[in-house]
Amino acid sequence: MLTEKFENQIGEVQLTAKDFQSSAEVKWCPGCGDFSILAQMQRISPQLGIKRENFVWVSGIGCSSRFPYYMETYGIHGIHGRGSAIASGVKIARPELSVWVVAGDGDLLSIGGNHFIHSCRRNIGLKILLFNNRIYGLTKGQYSPTSEQGKKTKSTPYGSVDYPFNPVRVALGAGCSFVARTIDRETKHMQEIMKRMAGHEGTSLLEIFQNCVIFNDGAYSSLTDKETKADNLLYLENDKPMVFGANRDKGIKLDGFTPRVVDLSKGEYSLDDLWVHQEKDDNPARAFILSTLDENPELPTPIGIFRIEEKPSYEQLVVEQIEHIRGDKKDFTLHDLIGQGNVWKVE
Amino acid sequence: METKELKGKETRLMKGNEAMAEAAIRAGMDAYFGYPITPQSEVLEYLTEEIPNRKGLVLQAESEVAAINMVYGAAGAGARVMTSSSSPGVSLMQEGISYIASAELPCLLVNVSRGGPGLGTIQPSQGDYFQAVKGGGHGDYHLIVLAPSSVQEMVDFVFEGFRLAEKYRNPAMILADGALGQMMEKVELPAEGSLPHIVPDWATTGMKNKRPQNVITSLHIQPEKMEDINLHLQKKYQDMESEIKFEQEDTDDAEVILVAFGLSSRICKKVAELAREKGIKAGTFRPITLYPFPSEAISRLAGPNRKFLVVEMNAGQMVEDVRLAVNGKSEVHFYGRMGGMIPMPDEILAKLESVL
Repeated sequence: MLTEKFENQIGEVQLTAKDFQSSAEVKWCPGCGDFSILAQMQRISPQLGIKRENFVWVSGIGCSSRFPYYMETYGIHGIHGRGSAIASGVKIARPELSVWVVAGDGDLLSIGGNHFIHSCRRNIGLKILLFNNRIYGLTKGQYSPTSEQGKKTKSTPYGSVDYPFNPVRVALGAGCSFVARTIDRETKHMQEIMKRMAGHEGTSLLEIFQNCVIFNDGAYSSLTDKETKADNLLYLENDKPMVFGANRDKGIKLDGFTPRVVDLSKGEYSLDDLWVHQEKDDNPARAFILSTLDENPELPTPIGIFRIEEKPSYEQLVVEQIEHIRGDKKDFTLHDLIGQGNVWKVE
Repeated sequence: METKELKGKETRLMKGNEAMAEAAIRAGMDAYFGYPITPQSEVLEYLTEEIPNRKGLVLQAESEVAAINMVYGAAGAGARVMTSSSSPGVSLMQEGISYIASAELPCLLVNVSRGGPGLGTIQPSQGDYFQAVKGGGHGDYHLIVLAPSSVQEMVDFVFEGFRLAEKYRNPAMILADGALGQMMEKVELPAEGSLPHIVPDWATTGMKNKRPQNVITSLHIQPEKMEDINLHLQKKYQDMESEIKFEQEDTDDAEVILVAFGLSSRICKKVAELAREKGIKAGTFRPITLYPFPSEAISRLAGPNRKFLVVEMNAGQMVEDVRLAVNGKSEVHFYGRMGGMIPMPDEILAKLESVL
């Protein structure tokens, strides 16, 4: 297992999207956002240079958790909420595999919240796709930990009183080393981020705003409708000033800790005044500020990569530590032997 | 990394928990996932100290729930994998255990049990017998349950547990208790690498030979399919009966047989000795595999001129299985202590005299 050398994941294989489609009948409701995510994943999989047998798709329970059946790779359809824990087991046993986790908002952030934050904390090499539709779909429409406050559902008939999680902020807070967001309709955008994730060492999270046509239809319509999209959506681009709007005439300026929209059309502000996005910013504070934008109706919702932190993954550190310990083993003196372990001095 | 030199056979004085940990490394364990809980934390501690110098991987999980799920994943990837805990932690693992049993993945679980219910005590108990042998989690499944009564057996059953788990693609459990975990005894450790491990062809390790797609799951939504899976599991549990192990002493002429497992069986040996000194013909019977249970062997011993006294450190759990095996052919009595109390030979002897 670990003592084996990491296998080079780049093989001489020429696969197509079709090679990643299993023969299983895809069972999601017509119009579900999940179809798009599956299609984008199957489209980019052959471009990753990873052999099919080196992919493992791990899921918990929920609509999204049927994903492993549909990928012509290995997979585990596991236990509700436990996807990231199960996947951690796979990754540790077989660090050379490309381990992906599929989870819904209830699965990952409610019952599986603990496993999720600890995967992030360890920086174990999992690629987590969060299908966030802000509702429990498989159980037919109860509120989830990402449902907006006041939401009326089957289990909150008078409106929910709890405050929702912002998944990007949870991940940033837990030390996740790759945090990104996209939307089910943004197919090209999604593909680009998936490809970046595939090459990232350590834990990566991609939150995907995903429309549930049956139980929470239109949750993201202001970000996907042609008429409203441009004024509400901010594409994060590395090293670029934050510009948005149908006429690309609006920008985000950071005043201290406060982000605000400025008008670029009147000559008062130029591109030079705008907040320039740095995805590898050493200070996570700006990524945190960025994660608050979608909660303010005055500000656009950012999609793209919020933050990448380059740090060794859990599995790399373990291998290094083992090598270090083995390399350091010297002959002990009797004094060393008596003094090692659980000993203390009474003075 | 280079593979380290394998350790040969060795005799050492060891604590039960540490002996199991050492045995696991020698049995070729690939990965261990655990969470600290008294009285078994030494398993985790010993492994974190040893494994980097030896073979395998050890991870302290964020909870027992996480640990059992990591076991699920690693077992699915074909690793020889183990977790250990004590009663409250094992309760937390029950969900995962049911799924692992249904998905038919091999792994070794260790319960160094303590007095319950609830947080209870950290003293030894046998109160988890029902949980271990009757399922514990949901659905019709069984674990292979081995009950050691010495530190030596804790070592031997690590090997046996891995062997049986892999043979039947079923989780195996060592049901020990806090006293066995903490006591020190002389042990003979088998040579490292003496238990072969072939990575199974169903594991998620790669389909280089054009194997069909494989998804490990416990979900079969069609009732007909799910019944088939159940029938398959039940057949497997029947096959396991060939693995039944027990030990009996001085039963041929016995008017009373003391039945006990694990720690209590050691005490009962002393009781039988004391009883014989007093002229009472006493024998002992010790189930070693608690599941599958040696019902037939007990049934053969049952008859109208013989009584049974079942001794357990609980309110009377295995006694139910003994009664089922005896099936009315003998009187079956029970003596138990609970909550972390260990029965003394003289109190058991007093009970034995009172039922004759």
